[in-house]
Parts: sequence; structure tokens; C-alpha cells
Amino acid sequence: MYAKTAKTNILHSLYPYLLVLPAVLLVTAVSLYPTLYSFYLSTTRFIQGSMQFVGLRNYRVLLGGAAFLESFRATMIYLAGYVLFTVFFALITALVLNKGLRFTGIYMTVIFLPWVLSEITSGAIWRWMFYRDYGILQNLIGPLFNDVGLIVTPWGAMGIVIAASVWRSVSFGMLLLLAGLQSIPKALIEASQIDGADSWVRFRRVIWPLLFPTMMVTTVFMSIQAINGVGMIMAITKGGPGRATEVLSLYMYREAIQYFNLGYAAAISVVLLGINILFAFFYIRYLRKENALAS
Amino acid sequence: MQRTAQTGALNQSGRIQASAVLGLLHLMMILFCAITVFPVIYSILVSLAPPRMGMLRIVPEEFFFGHYVRLFSHGQFPRYILNSVINAGGGTVISTIFSAMAGYAVSRIAFKGKNLVFGYMFFMLMLPQLTNIVPLYKIASDLGMINTYTLMIIVFGAYGVPLAVFIMKGFFDSIPKVLEEAAFIDGATAFQTFWKVVMPVCAPGIVATLLINFVYSWNNFFTPLILITTSSMKMATVGLYDFQHVLEGNQDELLAAACVVIMVPSILLFLATRKYFLRGIVEGAVKG
Repeated sequence: MYAKTAKTNILHSLYPYLLVLPAVLLVTAVSLYPTLYSFYLSTTRFIQGSMQFVGLRNYRVLLGGAAFLESFRATMIYLAGYVLFTVFFALITALVLNKGLRFTGIYMTVIFLPWVLSEITSGAIWRWMFYRDYGILQNLIGPLFNDVGLIVTPWGAMGIVIAASVWRSVSFGMLLLLAGLQSIPKALIEASQIDGADSWVRFRRVIWPLLFPTMMVTTVFMSIQAINGVGMIMAITKGGPGRATEVLSLYMYREAIQYFNLGYAAAISVVLLGINILFAFFYIRYLRKENALAS
Repeated sequence: MQRTAQTGALNQSGRIQASAVLGLLHLMMILFCAITVFPVIYSILVSLAPPRMGMLRIVPEEFFFGHYVRLFSHGQFPRYILNSVINAGGGTVISTIFSAMAGYAVSRIAFKGKNLVFGYMFFMLMLPQLTNIVPLYKIASDLGMINTYTLMIIVFGAYGVPLAVFIMKGFFDSIPKVLEEAAFIDGATAFQTFWKVVMPVCAPGIVATLLINFVYSWNNFFTPLILITTSSMKMATVGLYDFQHVLEGNQDELLAAACVVIMVPSILLFLATRKYFLRGIVEGAVKG
């Protein structure tokens, strides 16, 4: 009788750990371990079929070379355009839908569609909308740009890639911002209405300050998306023309798979991880602020 | 007296103004939705156009289903679809079961290290797949696991876990504790309580988790692009990327059909579980 109770007690105290263990083990093996391993891999190089330790050589070559700077520049241009337009359109749609229009559910569903599609299918569609001779959007807006094939000019290609990515992500930003807007107490808005504030003043003085943490969360979230985005760009331009849209993620892919420079590619991914950690730091900070405001 | 008259007039013009504004807002949203949905509709219409007829004409002269027939009767595409179903399905089952267990423990049981587990999952949610893939490729090829279903199922399972733990915890949090207490009093063991009492009530949460994970894995392109190198093991998304090189410029309608086949399951699963889907996704992004 006593023995049985003791046994059940041990089982009982182990029970939560047994429940958690498989999930923890799985993500550790597949996500954490390889990420740590990438630090080691980035200090190696394949020389005549065997992996040799080369110290920080990959980083020296990487950071000293023009290719990295070009990719970094492309990444920053892509990030700036993508984040700016995504957050802008997301804010407008969120403000409109926050008015509680009829059919809000239908609007939201439609706007959300691109997010549930694969980047590769969306990218393929956007690519053929900009074919030189018979792309439907090329024919529509090409004449505004002297009828050049937009996808073969560096800025045109970057613009198309940004437009397609914004198209895909607006919904997600909208969802985040809408959640933020709905946590603003109605009483505050009503009070400002009674005080006679017009809608611009109300937005500027009441809504904006309260929404600001959510705006920052959304901005940083989208920046993280931009840094890690790869499928859309591969499908639309494959990094071209030249290297105009070869962002860091594509550069990493090319080094790893086409040239099989695993150590060098690992160094790029460590740099990318560093940028990610920087963004994650801000993300968590603004998330805390947002949650503090909401509660 | 004068003042009330004035406000009355103001109210009326205000109401007209308000409904004009409302109309304008609806117009704006309709336009916005039209732009959003256009590429999807357009690709469906192109896929239904006869060969070499689709790209510039928005609505084809006649509907032609030959591209779909060809897609499923020739070449590797059916195999790619099968691979996608196996990999995404297997990964989804694993991540859903594991995260249901972990989510339940984190939501319901007080134990030492609980916050650590929760924090670890949040950290993993932030860890990007992109920076993980090159070392993962190296490790998997050292283990001889490249080009296997096992590898893809394990990887998709792991990728799905962190978000799924958050979603499942949210659903478990919303279930009243009384239910479990009653089961305990009736003499059920902890395990029985979990499987027979808690899980059925959580069915919507589980379905949402399953579907979100399935859609994410089904759509995943970059992971299988790197971890799979033989043609027969490729997933549909990677197959589409290959088709792009081959078909572009002469068989765009066939390419469009392949796109539609990959899009349709995601769209249908999303529409079927819209509410849970949106809730689950937002929860993963904003709950700290």
C-alpha cells in the first residue's frame, strides 16, 4: 500500500517533465543544435575532401569582400521598402476595419489569402505578371517607365520583389495592428469625441501614442520577415539581374548549394543570425511594452 | 433654442457625411481586396486557358482542362504531391502530438522549470529556419539522412512545435479546471484525464494546430530545396521551382496549373478554419 503510493508519487512528480520532454528534445536536436553547430562550421573549410579548421578566415574573406557588401546593401534596400509599405498599408486597413464595418470578416479573409499561399507559387505568379512581352502588369505599368522590361532592370526587379512581398504580408501586419487598436479603451476615444477633437487630432493625440508599441512590434516583426525572406525572391528574380536582388539569404544559398562552400555559407548564416538576434532583442522589448500597456 | 436647431441641422448633414464616408471606406476595402485577390484569380484563369492563349487575356475564350490532366498523367508531379503529403502530414502529426502534451503541462501543471520550458519555446519561435539550414544540411548528410522522408518529417515536426505549443497552451488555458477535477474524483489517472477528458474539449485547438502546421509545411520551399537532392523525393514546391526553368515562356498555362494545385489545399484549409487559424497565428506572434 505504502510502496504503491510512493511509486505513484514519483510518477506524479515526473509526469509534467515526461509530457514536455519530447517537444524539448525535438526542437533542441533540429533547431538549437544545428544553430550552435553553425558557429563551428563557419570556422572550417573543405580542403581536398576533408574539413579543416581555418579559424576566422571565412569571416575575413566575407566581410572584406565586395560580394557581401553588395548583398548587404540589397538586403537593406529590400528591408526598407518592404517594411515601410507593409506597415503603411497594414495601418490603413487596420484603421478602416477597426471601425467595425459590415463585411469586415469577408474583407479580412480575402486580405489574408496571400499569407497562406506558398512563397514559391506567389513568386511564380508575380514573375509571369512581369514577363517582357505578355506579362499583364508589365503591359499595364511598363509604359510609365519608357516601356522597359521592369524585371530586367535592377531597380525594377527590386521594386517587383518588394511589391510582391508587401502584397503577401500586409494582412499579417493588419492583424497585429488591429489587435493593438482593439485593446485601446473605448472610453478614451469617446472622451476625446466629447471634447470635440476631430478625427485627425484624435488619431494623433489618442490613438497613435497608444498604438505606438504595437507599431514597433509590427515593424520589427516585418524586419525579421525581410531578413529571413528567400522563397519569393528566388521565384521572381533568382537574385538578378546581375546581383541586384541577391539578398544575404540568396547569397548564402548560392555559396552553400552551388559552390558547396559550406563553411563560408555558415559564416553568412552566423552574420544573419546576429542581425536576427539584434531584431529579436527589440521585438521582445516592444512586446513587453505592448503587453504592459494592454494589461 | 437656436442652439438646438443648429445641432439638429448639423446632425443631419453629419449623418449624410457619415454615410458618404462609410461608402468611401467600403469602396476602399473592396478595391484593396480586389488587388489582393487578383493574382490568385488570374493564375486560376490562366491555368484554364488553351495552350499559349492565357497570359494577356484575363478571361479565356474557352475553358480548357487539359493542363490539369497532363499534370497528373505525365512526369513526376503526382509523385511530388505525394511527397508533400507524406512530409507535411507526418511532420504535422508529430508536432501536434508533442505540442499538445507540452502545452498541456505548461498550461495546467505547476512544476519546477515550467517558465524555463515556456521561455525556451519562445526563444525557438524566434530562431529563424534560414540560419539553421546550412548546418542542418551538413549534419543530415553526415548522418546519411538527406533525401529521406524520415528527415523531412522530423524537421517539419520540430519547426512546427514552438508555435503549436503556444496555440495549444492558449486553448488549454481556456478550459475550466472543474472538468479535470471531476475526472480525478471519479478515479481517472492523470493520463486518462489528459486523453479522455481534456483532449476532446480541445478538439478545435488541435484541429487549428494541425491545419496551421500542415499548411506551413506544405508551403515550405527553402527547407526541402536544400535537404532534398534526388528528383523522386522532391516536394511539390521545389518541383514547381524546377518547372519554372523548363516551362517558362512556352507552357506558362501548365505552370499556372501546377501553381493552382499547390495553392488550393492551403486556401481550402484556411477557409474551413478561418477563425481558429487567425487566432492561432496571432497568438504565436504577440504572446510573450
